[in-house]
This record gives sequence, structure tokens and C-alpha cells, in this order.
Amino acid sequence: MNPAIEIRRLRKSYGAKKALHDITITVGEGSCFGLLGPNGAGKSTTMKILAGLLEYDAEDAIVLGEDIRRSGDRIKAKVGYVPQSITLYEKLSALDNLIYFGEMYGVRGGELKRRIREVLEQVGLADRSKDPVASFSGGMKRRINIAAALLHRPKLIIMDEPTVGIDPQSRNHIFEMIRRLKQEGVTVLYSTHYMEEVEALCDHLAIIDHGKVIAQGGLNEVLDRFGSQAVYLELSEGHRPPALPGFGEPAAQGRGWLLETPKPLDALAGWASACKERSLPVIRLEVVRPSLETVFLALTGTTLRDT
Amino acid sequence: MWNIARKEWKLLLKEKGAFFWLLALPIAFIVLFGTIFDSAGGSSLKLSYIDLDRTDASRAFIQAVADAGGYKMVEADEAALEDKIQRIRDGKETALLVIPKAFGQEIASAEGGQTAVTVYRDAADAAAVGPLLAILDNLANGYRDSRVKSALQATGLSGPQQEQVLAAPFRIDDRPENALHNNGITQYVPGYTVMFVFFVIISMIRRFIGDKESGMIARMRSTTIKPISYLAGIWLAYLAVALVQCAVLLSFGHWAYGMQLGDVAAVALLVFALALCGTGIGLALSMLVRSENQGVAFTQLITMGGAVLGGLWFPIDLMPSTMQTIGHFTPQFWAQKAFQDILVRGMHTGDILASLLVLAAVALAGLALALFRFKAFMRTATG
Repeated sequence: MNPAIEIRRLRKSYGAKKALHDITITVGEGSCFGLLGPNGAGKSTTMKILAGLLEYDAEDAIVLGEDIRRSGDRIKAKVGYVPQSITLYEKLSALDNLIYFGEMYGVRGGELKRRIREVLEQVGLADRSKDPVASFSGGMKRRINIAAALLHRPKLIIMDEPTVGIDPQSRNHIFEMIRRLKQEGVTVLYSTHYMEEVEALCDHLAIIDHGKVIAQGGLNEVLDRFGSQAVYLELSEGHRPPALPGFGEPAAQGRGWLLETPKPLDALAGWASACKERSLPVIRLEVVRPSLETVFLALTGTTLRDT
Repeated sequence: MWNIARKEWKLLLKEKGAFFWLLALPIAFIVLFGTIFDSAGGSSLKLSYIDLDRTDASRAFIQAVADAGGYKMVEADEAALEDKIQRIRDGKETALLVIPKAFGQEIASAEGGQTAVTVYRDAADAAAVGPLLAILDNLANGYRDSRVKSALQATGLSGPQQEQVLAAPFRIDDRPENALHNNGITQYVPGYTVMFVFFVIISMIRRFIGDKESGMIARMRSTTIKPISYLAGIWLAYLAVALVQCAVLLSFGHWAYGMQLGDVAAVALLVFALALCGTGIGLALSMLVRSENQGVAFTQLITMGGAVLGGLWFPIDLMPSTMQTIGHFTPQFWAQKAFQDILVRGMHTGDILASLLVLAAVALAGLALALFRFKAFMRTATG
């Protein structure tokens, strides 16, 4: 897979304050790459640089095969940028907003009309095209916000937290849209606060904190490398789990107990035989796959939702 | 650029506030002052009188006062005399005329009888009463001339001889120069047109600051459009708005109050220079101010300060000479002067070149300042 984005040692400072320290990321063409990190970690700055909005320092900053410092408008014509804020003129209709942005990207005439019809269908708002954006729900505005970045058929979409504060219906629309874009070979760079979104959409991810990449790779690779393994045991009410020599104390979780261990299969076998010997009524016994939530917690010492 | 201008016009059509500031309010001001100063309309200044004579002669005298001063005469009953005097003392009325009994008989008398028309007046309101006293004095002179004429006729002098005797030793040869259509309307219609053109600055600042704060400019920078096209697009949009605004206000003055436009080509050129000037200042301020509130404050200073010093509300000649000198440094002064030159004095393009140059120079200075600050503005907008 050719890289759609290849940045090496990307640096950015605002005066004396360093916003990015040597960020190195590679995003494969046609993939969905997630950027995870707390507020102020540097996600938006990285995305703005890739969208051509900010000056920067880097050994390499290649987007779609071109150095973004030198390519100027050639890159912009291939990239769609969806900012974190909803940047639409609320008094204008969805249609007028899309005409405005389409022409900004150089799409005109019949092609623009056709594309507006297509993207409105994609975001599920074709029947509301003539309504002023001010009359839309937050989720609908987010969908038009994304639609505006798709009009020129970009090969790379940069989405900066596109699902903040939206209803489940709009979120599903956006997820569907991203999956369809991936199928069409479009590369998606996606930042979010929601772990489940990365798990649902992204093939690869990078976790950024204080302007540095602290983990990156394929989703499973990151989970395996940075997530702690665990075994979960649930017994009938009133029963406690048997102690396993050589393993730590299990922690209560939900209706059962969770035992974190680097040897989950040994712990699983140990608990299985101990329960059988004591005739304990087992309801559930399984190895628990690590989640991004636990990975993030382990790496940054904080939960993403608290940031 | 056209794309941005078109979007701006669509937005303006949906913003009632913009219509109010740019069209409704100036028209309201023009209507207000036009109603007061419309030369075709009658005066609404009321003057009370008590006619104790009630003869044809007294009625003719009252009519003569009304005609000479443009007063609306209000008859009062003799019994109301004390009440009327009290109202004058209280400042509620300005003056009261009392025509005595036998007024008609006395003025017709050939024996030199004399009667007295009493004027009760507010001594503190000399500005309003002064013209009335002058009118009464004039009328008294007229009656005296009639009596003298009768006396001369009795001596057997012929008509021309009588005229010769009665002729004043000198006459006033009134020759109004450069004032073809001078009236209140030619002051207020261009005055409020010039004043409200500068209100376009507020709309420009709102757009630039709004686009900056909403992230619209950052998003626009991610597209293929050149940043300078954004600046030019907004400028073009509001330049057209200012042109339409001037056209509507001047047309309103023409159709509603019969204001003569004079050399229309010169007016068009002046309006273009004025629109360039107002929007040029708007561009510069948009790039300089840090917030919308700061922008509105500066705009008020420019529009109101310029209106007073530039002679938009009243002729600049009424101001102290120092203020008149300061007024020369406002673009409003030059715009208003040029409008007056065309509308009142019948001048043409060649005669208003100085005004056109000043307005163009201010526009260019505004544009230069805006271009100088534009890069920093865009940098903070995409930060």
C-alpha cells in the first residue's frame, strides 16, 4: 500500500511554545487513520499543517506524493478538510453553502450541481437542501460541514473531530459515509475523542500527547503492544473467585472479577481447574481483549473522556 | 472573487439589520428633515392672534402677516388674553398679536390717526420672534406708504410723480450666484447619503471578524482559492452595496422631494469615489481591529465625527473657523462639498476634481493599509 501521508519529524512552535515535537506518521492510501489524544495534544495542529493552513518544520511532509511546502494548490485540490468547528453560513441554505464551497474548490456549472446532489444524498439531507442551515440540528450541520469537503472528489479527507455533540442518527450517517469513502479508495485521517469510533472505523492509529506520538500502528498491534491482557471470571451470586498462586489479586468488575496478567492463558487454565475442584458455578470465564480505553489510560495516565 | 461577492449579497439579502442601517435609517432621516425643510410645504409655525376689530381691514392684516411669515394663524378669543400671556411666560407659546378695536378705521383715516397692534412675545426666544417683528415693521411701512400715497394724490401729483417721491433712495439688487437649487433638501439628502455610506464599514468588519472567529477563513485557506481573492471579493460586494445605497438615497431625494441631480455623470463619478473611500476605510479597519466591538466603536467615531465636522448635518459655514479647518481633513467634507457643487451650484466633473482626488486618495490609503495588514490577519485567522 502506497503512503498517502508521510511525515517525518514534523515540528511546530507558537513563539516559545512547542506544539509538535518530531511527529512521524505514515498513513496508507485508502485507509482510515485515527488520531487520538487529549485536548491540546497537537491533533488539530497536525491536521491543519496537512491541510496546508500552517507553516511548519519537518524533514519530510509528503501528502499524496507531493511535498506540501512546494505543491501549493495542487495538493489542496486533492484534499478535503473538515474543521472541528462548524464553518457554514447559517442564514444561507445548505445548497447555497455547498455552491459556495464547491466554487472555492474550483468545481462549477453542471459538475457542481451533480456533485451537490450526490453529496446531499450521501449525507442524507437531499430533502432539506433549500432550508437554511440555522434550522438544522447539530448533527445535520455536521453532515453538511463534511459534505462541503467532498464536493471536489478529494483523495484524502482530513476530519477533525467530526462527530462532536451529534445525535446517533447523524453519527451513523457519518460512519457510513466514511466506510463508503474507504471503499472508493479515499484516505481518511480522523481525529476523535471517542475510542469506539477509532475501533469501528480505523485500520491504523496514532496516539498523540503533548505534541508527541506516544504510540502508533495497526489497531490490533497497538492493543497487543500497549494494552494489558486480562481474564474475566463471573460466578453465581455469593461466590468469590479462587486464589491463583503466582498471580495478583483479581479486581471486582461488574458482576465478576478481572485479573490482569501477562499470561492470560495460564490464568484461564488455573481458574478453570480451581473452580472445577471446588464445584464453583461458573457463569463466564474468558480472556479479555484490551481496549483502546485501557491503552490510552496506560500511556497517558488519563482517560480520554476526561480531557 | 465573484463567488465570495455573490455569497455576501445573498447573506445581506437575508440580514434585516443591514437593510435598516444602510437604507431604512438614512431614508427615515431624509424624510424627517425633508418634511421639516421641504420648500414646497407650508410652515407649521403657529401664531395666535386676537382680533378685536373684526373688520375686512383687520382680516387683511392678519392674512398679510400669515403670507409674509408663512405662519399658521390661530385665532383666540378676547377672554383668553390672560391665559395666552401666561402661556408665553411659561414658554409654551412664542407670541400673540392683538389687533385693537377700530384698527380698520384708524389705518383708513386720512387725518394721520394711529393705532397700536400689540405683540406679546417671549423675550427669551429672540430667534423665533425677531422675524415676526421684522414682518410687522415691514407691514407698518407698507400702510404708511399707502397713506403717504393718498396724501400725495390729494396734492394733485401724477402717478409717476408719486412713485418717484415714494421710491427708496437705494434698492437692493439681489443676485444669487452659484445657487441654482439651494434648499434644505440639497443639504440633507446628500448629507445623509454620505454619512450612511460610511456605515457599510460596520458590515465589512462584522464579516471579516465573523469569518475569522468562526474558522471560515481557516477553512477557505484549505481550498484552492487565493487569499487575496477573499479580500477582493468582500470589497467588491460592499462596493456594490454602497453604490446601490447611494443610488437609492439620491433617487429617493429626487423622486420624493424633487431634488435636482444636476450633472448625472458627475454625480455617478462622485458616488463611485465615495463608495471606494468608504469601503477602503472599511477594509483597513477590518484588518486592524481585534474585535467586532472595537470595530463598531471606531466606525461610530468615523461616521458621527465625520458627519459633524464634514458639514453633513448643517452647513459647515455655521461652525467656528477652527472646526471648519479640521473638517477639511475628513473625506465627508469633500464628498458633501462635491455634492453641493453639483446639485446646488450646477458644477460638473472638472469642477469637483479636488474632491474626487481626496476621496480616491483615502480609498487607496485604506487599501494599502489593508494589504499591509492582510498577511498578519490571515495568520491569526488560521492559527
